[in-house]
Amino acid sequence: MATRRHFLKISAAAGLAPAVVSAQGRARVVVIGGGFGGATAARTLKATQPLLDVTLVEPNPVYTSCPFSNSVLASLREIGQQQFRYDGIKAAGVTVAETSATAVDAEAKTVTLVDGSRLPYDRLVMSPGIDFTWNAIQGYDEAATEKMPHAWKAGAQTVLLRRQLQAMDDGGLVVLSSPANPFRCPPGPYERASLIAYWLKIWKPKSKLLLLDSKDAFSKQRLFQNGWAELYPGMIEWVPLSQGGKVTAVDPATLTLTTEFGSHKAAVANVIPPQKAGAIAVQAGVADRTGWCPVEPVAFESTLRPNIHILGDAAIMGGMPKSAFAANAQAKVCAAAIVKLLAGEKPQDPIVINTCYSLLAADYGISIAGVYRPDGRQLTDIPGAGGASPLEAVGGLRGQEALYASSWFRTITAETFG
Amino acid sequence: MHRALLPGLASMILLAGPATAADAPPGASSCTGCHAPKKVADSVIPRLAGRKAEDIVTFMRDYRSGAWPSSLMGRIAKGFDDQQTEAIAAWFAAQPE
Repeated sequence: MATRRHFLKISAAAGLAPAVVSAQGRARVVVIGGGFGGATAARTLKATQPLLDVTLVEPNPVYTSCPFSNSVLASLREIGQQQFRYDGIKAAGVTVAETSATAVDAEAKTVTLVDGSRLPYDRLVMSPGIDFTWNAIQGYDEAATEKMPHAWKAGAQTVLLRRQLQAMDDGGLVVLSSPANPFRCPPGPYERASLIAYWLKIWKPKSKLLLLDSKDAFSKQRLFQNGWAELYPGMIEWVPLSQGGKVTAVDPATLTLTTEFGSHKAAVANVIPPQKAGAIAVQAGVADRTGWCPVEPVAFESTLRPNIHILGDAAIMGGMPKSAFAANAQAKVCAAAIVKLLAGEKPQDPIVINTCYSLLAADYGISIAGVYRPDGRQLTDIPGAGGASPLEAVGGLRGQEALYASSWFRTITAETFG
Repeated sequence: MHRALLPGLASMILLAGPATAADAPPGASSCTGCHAPKKVADSVIPRLAGRKAEDIVTFMRDYRSGAWPSSLMGRIAKGFDDQQTEAIAAWFAAQPE
């Protein structure tokens, strides 16, 4: 009791707000991964409960945003406009460890870093994003990405694909391969096809884009297809799974993509490969046999390992898609829940929103939204809410949504990175 | 001796206190993904912090019914009932502008 009284006295003297203080010091939260999920979680945890000791583990000093990176391919933006540093997060009082986590010990509650040192935690947040399943498409391994970029983690790959498009002769065939569900950013391949066509129409108008798909349906499908017919007639050919769209093998040397029905030789090939949760999730034991991480729907705590919360693309979030908006929204819910849990309180059932804008041209935007709540074991769509933009656009709606898309990007990156 | 019984919690001291962001009503934290809490350059999306609660409630009700046209907010508003909307509106009204 002496210890308890002592701490109460110190806390009261310092005029501290609702507090979680352990006898060893402040409660510790470690966050692995500095993307939209992890960076938001770290900032929100510290802002909500300044007494927490929050460490963000992220090896890259600069984050390159995937949202709006398709606009870089179309030369509507430069890669530098996609990049964000962690200075704002450091200034908010988060310790940023510019290194990689190599192991998580869920029993000992420690994160091991590259140099072998260990970070103890009371709660761990993992937002590791995606890794690619190499050779799921035969011949598509890490080396192949130098010839056939995925550009599905933004950065050097985005710049490479843009350069390849710029170097291509007018009349060349651009081939894009899109994976089966689930994967990062469900509307992303179709926004990419749209914006590449936007750029081709201006600079290489004799060129065509072939979109080979491992699915028979996709996000905002009618909106995209109507837009393609309106904006880029005859330029984009979508080949669904049932018509031989699934790419089974590639030859990077000849830029050949083989499907179940034949093969296609590309001038530029963009292969978006099958994906899974980032490798650290597997090491930590929080990924299941699907390759993704099951979580409960209130605090997004792993159903496989206690005290580990998983956010964003790596997690199985019921009806929520893998998007930056979703990761950011989940992170804020998770941060509030962790503050409650550390104070010995029960987190409230959340409502979580997702909104995804896609551009079909610089001034042509569409959106899809959803509102989700816990329904037993997972997050489920609230019936009657959400859905896509109307098929009939009146009053400059597509232009308005393009404007909202760029406003959203500025706002969410400011909220995430400061 | 408590440490042996509750190894994770015994060493922690918990203090109650005023409402924080951890107490925001369900749904409120998602809004700031688009509606910036502080001024963001070149955003056409209005801020919610510091606005009158009744104005937010009226907009949300009219978005939901379609009485007020919207590109996206009608689809979002349909995910919230009156009580949930009022709680979110009151929350944002109390935030510093």
